[in-house]
Order: sequence, then C-alpha cells, then structure tokens
Amino acid sequence: MSSGQTPTVPVDVVLVDDHNMFRAGVRASLDARVHVVGEAENVDEAVDVIHALRPPVVLLDVHLPGGDGGGGTEVLRRCADLLAETKFLALSVSDAAEDVVGVIRVGARGYVTKAIDGTALSDAVLRVASGDAVFSPRLAGFVLDAFGTAAGDVATGDDELDRLSAREREVMRLIARGYSYREVASELFISIKTVETHVSAVLRKLQLSSRHELTRWAAARRLL
Amino acid sequence: MATADTAPARPGARVRLPLRRPEHGRRVAGVALGVAAHLDLPVRTVRLVFVLASLLGGVGVVYYVFLWLTVPAGDPADAARPAVLGRLARRQIDRGTPFRLAGPQVLAGVGLLVVAAVLLAMRAGGTRDLSWVLPLLLLVAGLVLAWSEMGFVQRGRTRGQPGGRVQGILRVVGGLLLAGVGVLLLVTEFTGEGIEPGVLWQATIAAVAVLAGVALVLAPWWLRLVRELGDERAARAREAERADIAAHLHDSVLQTLAIIRARSDEPTEVARMARAQERELREWLYADRPMPGTSVAAALRAVVAEVEDTRTTGEGEAVAIELVVVGDRPPDDGTEALLAATREALVNAVVHGRPPVSLYLEVGDDAVEVFVRDHGDGFRLDDIPTDRFGVRESILGRVRRRGGTATVTSRPERGTEWHLVVPVGPCPGAESPAGASTADEAPSPTTDGTAGGTAAKSATVTERSAGKGER
Repeated sequence: MSSGQTPTVPVDVVLVDDHNMFRAGVRASLDARVHVVGEAENVDEAVDVIHALRPPVVLLDVHLPGGDGGGGTEVLRRCADLLAETKFLALSVSDAAEDVVGVIRVGARGYVTKAIDGTALSDAVLRVASGDAVFSPRLAGFVLDAFGTAAGDVATGDDELDRLSAREREVMRLIARGYSYREVASELFISIKTVETHVSAVLRKLQLSSRHELTRWAAARRLL
Repeated sequence: MATADTAPARPGARVRLPLRRPEHGRRVAGVALGVAAHLDLPVRTVRLVFVLASLLGGVGVVYYVFLWLTVPAGDPADAARPAVLGRLARRQIDRGTPFRLAGPQVLAGVGLLVVAAVLLAMRAGGTRDLSWVLPLLLLVAGLVLAWSEMGFVQRGRTRGQPGGRVQGILRVVGGLLLAGVGVLLLVTEFTGEGIEPGVLWQATIAAVAVLAGVALVLAPWWLRLVRELGDERAARAREAERADIAAHLHDSVLQTLAIIRARSDEPTEVARMARAQERELREWLYADRPMPGTSVAAALRAVVAEVEDTRTTGEGEAVAIELVVVGDRPPDDGTEALLAATREALVNAVVHGRPPVSLYLEVGDDAVEVFVRDHGDGFRLDDIPTDRFGVRESILGRVRRRGGTATVTSRPERGTEWHLVVPVGPCPGAESPAGASTADEAPSPTTDGTAGGTAAKSATVTERSAGKGER
C-alpha cells in the first residue's frame, strides 16, 4: 500500500527457510498481494527451485543447511545470474552484523527480521519486487555505524560510493529511529518515492563501497 | 595462607589437586605454592622445608629448580576442573598483574655471585686449578638460555606475541651452541693435553652425526606427538564450548520453556518470559559482551531489559523495545544521567504510549543522542497530572543538569518521540552542538503541554541548558 501501487496480480514468491513451522507461519501471514509459488528448505533445493521458477521475489533465510555450508549467502552467490530479474529479501532472526551486511553485499535487496508481521512483510515483498530496497531499523544502524555519523563526513555528490549524502544519512537515522518510509517522507517533506530512491542509493553504496572505514569496520566484525 | 582457598580441605572426599605453579601469590616461581596445594599442606611449611633442605648441601635448591623446570605454570584448581565444567565464555576478570620473576635481573645476580665465588676461591687457594670453571659456566649459561625458551613458549602461547617465535628459535640455537662449546671445553679439560685437535674434531663430527641420525629416526614420532597434542587441545576447546552452550541452554532456555508450558494460560507472562529469554540468548550469541562499566551500549541494553521485564502497558501487556545502537564509548557522568533519563522516557512510552517502542542511541564525537519513540495517541500532560512533575524532573531535569537538551515531540497520528542529547568528550558543559537533526526544535521555554486536545497540531516542549540554569 505504501509502495504507491496496488498490483492486481499477486507477486510470486519463493520461500526459503529450513523450519517447516516458520514457512507455514509466513504462508499464513502473507496477504492477498503475495502468492507463494515454491518453497525450499536447504541451499541446493533453493538454488534448483529458484532457477526453475524464476520468481520475481525470493524470501531467503540467512541460516540454511546444505550446500557448502554458506547458508543464504551461498544461495545468492549461486543465483547471481538471476539477480537482474529476481530480487532477494533476506529474512533472519540474527542480529549479527556479519549476517546482515554479508547477505546485502552479495546482492540481497533488503533485510527484515522474522518478528515482522504479515502486512509489513507483504509490503516489503512488494517494495522489493518494484526494485526498491527494504531497510530494517537495525540495518540502518549498521549502515550508520559503517559509514560514520560525523557531520563532516558527507558525500559531495551522489556518485560518491564511500560516503552517505546528508539526506541519505537523515533518512537512515529516521529509519533507525523506527520511522516507516511514509513517516520519513512526511518528516522530511519529501515524497515516498524520494525516500525509496535514497534508500536504494544507500543499498548500492553498501554493496559496492570499498571504503576504508567500511572495510575496517567489517574486518573488526570478521565480515571479510 | 593465600592457598587456604585453593586447597579444599574436605574430609572424606579428599581430592588431590594436580601439581601446577600458580601465578598469583607466588614468591619466586610458585613451586612451594603448587606443592602446598598438591599435598594439601600450609604453604609456610613447604617453604620452610625447602629452605631447611637447601642448607643440607643445597638439596632444596636443586629440587626447587627441578620442579620449576618440570612443573607447568597454571592454576591447580582450574587444572583439576574437567573441561566439561569450564565455562569458556565467562567475562574477563582483571585480577591484577600476576607476579613474575624479573628473569634477566635474577640471572645477572646469580652470575655475579658465581663470579664472586670463583674470585674468592682463586684468591684463597691460588694453587688449585680452576680452569674447569669457565666451561662449566658456559654450559650452565647455555642450559639456562635454552630452558628459558621453554618457559617463554608456555607463556607466549597464551599471550600470542608476534615475533616471539624467531626470538625463541634464536634462544634455543644460542643455548645449544653455548652448551656444546662448554661440553667440548670440559672434555678437553679432562682429557688433558694428550688428545690431538684433529681427533677431537673427528669425535665432534661423529657425535653430531649420531645425534642427527637419531633425530631423523625420531622425527616422525615427534611430529605425530605434536599433532596429537594440537588435536587434543582443539578437541578440548570444542568440548568446553559445547559444554558452555549446553549449560546455558539448560540453565535458562529449558527452564524458561518449562515455566512457559506450566503457565501457558497467562499470555502476558508467557510473552514477557519469551522476550526476556530471546534477549538473553541474543546477547549471549551476538553481543561482544564487553567488561562491565566500559560500554554505554551494554548499559543501555541492561536498562531496556529492566524496563521490558518490569513494565507493561495500561492493559497489562508486555512490550518489546526495538533497540538500535550506533557507536559506543565508556560511560561517564553525562551518559549516566542520559541513561537514567532514557529509562524514564522508556517507562513513559511503555506505560502510557503504545507499541512498537523504538529506542535509538547514537554516540558521536562530542555528544550522545537518544531517541525514544512510541506510537501512542500523543503526550497528554493534562491526562496525567501527577506524572507531569515526574516527567519534567526525571527526564528534562536530569539531562539539563549535564548541559544537555531534551525535546519531546508529540503528534496524534505519529506518537511521541523523546530526543535527549548529552554533550560528552573533552569539554563537557559546552553548548550542545548536536540537535541539528531536529528541524522542529523551538526554543520555547513554556512547559504546558498543549498537545492535549483533538487538534492535530504538534506541540514541542523544549528545555535548553542555559549557563545559569537551575542546579
């Protein structure tokens, strides 16, 4: 609803999680805008199912058995050829920075915790399907931690990968404070579309930046 | 006396502690302390025995040095505990720097004493032939050098010093050379002038060749021994970690699950216990668990835990607080006040607001900021007149006294948000530079909350620190 469009056709989703109970819970909680077309419970199965069905969105648990033990990150690596058409939304109970940032850096378009309710999860799926990024407050906190919060550390242009622009930082701080995209938009007097653009830009920077501080921050948390 | 607690004096179940040299409370190398713990004797008695035995032709000294070299350092009580009971993840406790013998100084002292003794002997009985003294000294020096490396390795393993390896190898090689030269000189001394240098060289080469052959034969055994030792150590560490996890699961998770099952008809209580358990498990799994008193973030987590455990909404429901922390620093007076104010704001949000409650902490270079947000109907001071003073004093006053600012923004459709800033760093008390992000911050000293009412307008209550504010 807050993504601004109401698709008449539900979005197809593949659900990857090793807990049967959790999959059933997610299936039941997703609303009519989302349709689960396939499920998988380990890495190899997930790669096969995703390649066979080529869904627009995959809900991917970060911790998965099977494969080479790489979990959700491994699924993303082995589906790298599909990233243009299939968007991945990571779903995890974990708070650890290595899980969150690790899965984003290999191509996931967003990260939500499993405590999320059905409507919010459906919103997140639609948002990812339309090409935008989904940031949880915690992920926004990690971003601010990695890119620094000092006021002088601001990107001069949008193309600068290693820094956040002042506006992007403001958006991140509001998300970290628990604001929804809609609330961020009205707080900053911008449109929701602009908020989504900022968040997508931050996601791109998080994925592509080789910033020294980011590297050091990641190394300190054993991400690299 | 200091070992009274390390040596358990339980009659009947007498458990003999393994022989180790404790690092705390030792006088020289911890040998007497270790022996006392092992034999369950007062350490004074053991020390006295060593001293008395030393008077009998130095037997005590020889035995002491022998034990020093053969008994590994460590805590006897720790060594006695099986790995299953050892908790890997316990917090670091600083027990002060353990006693260490200043090795070089002691060696220099002993060397000087020996030289003095030799000089005295030469002066007293000049006729005696003392040429064997120098080779013997060389031999002993070599031994000390090489053996000191063993102790060094033992310590270096726990400390993990880079570059210590090369130094250690140099020590061993130097010690071997010194000892070898000493032995050679001794041999020539005893055989007298009769032996030719050529024969000596041949003998030396033959001896080295035999040693090399033996080393070659024994090398596989030695390598296997080393590998097995490493494997065993790794297995022990794994087992300890597994035991730690099992102990934790048993201690808290299973127990909580049992209680939850028993009280499944009380949803609030169940939700609260599940949340507390989740929080504990998360901290256990993901947090860095810093030492107490070194981290504002950890202190804030404790505050959140306390509020989640003890407070409910007006309807009696438990509330989960979503916490996001950016940065960290050691606590000081300013952050203490900030945390106390944060606690009040959280309680306010949980009790009078509506979930979800969000808490955001940002540690900057010159200020620490906290945002507390709930999704209630807004901050109606008129509805809760008794809390008015409480909120004013406990939140605004606390932060203001530390030179910070506190702002509350309340809008009917977007809940209430507290913004607390306390300056930190080298110049506390300076005008707070943070707060640039609150565009709606208005310096209005009025405190009457005008948000009560149905009008969807925003009310801002701001308290600023003035240099001559109330104390």
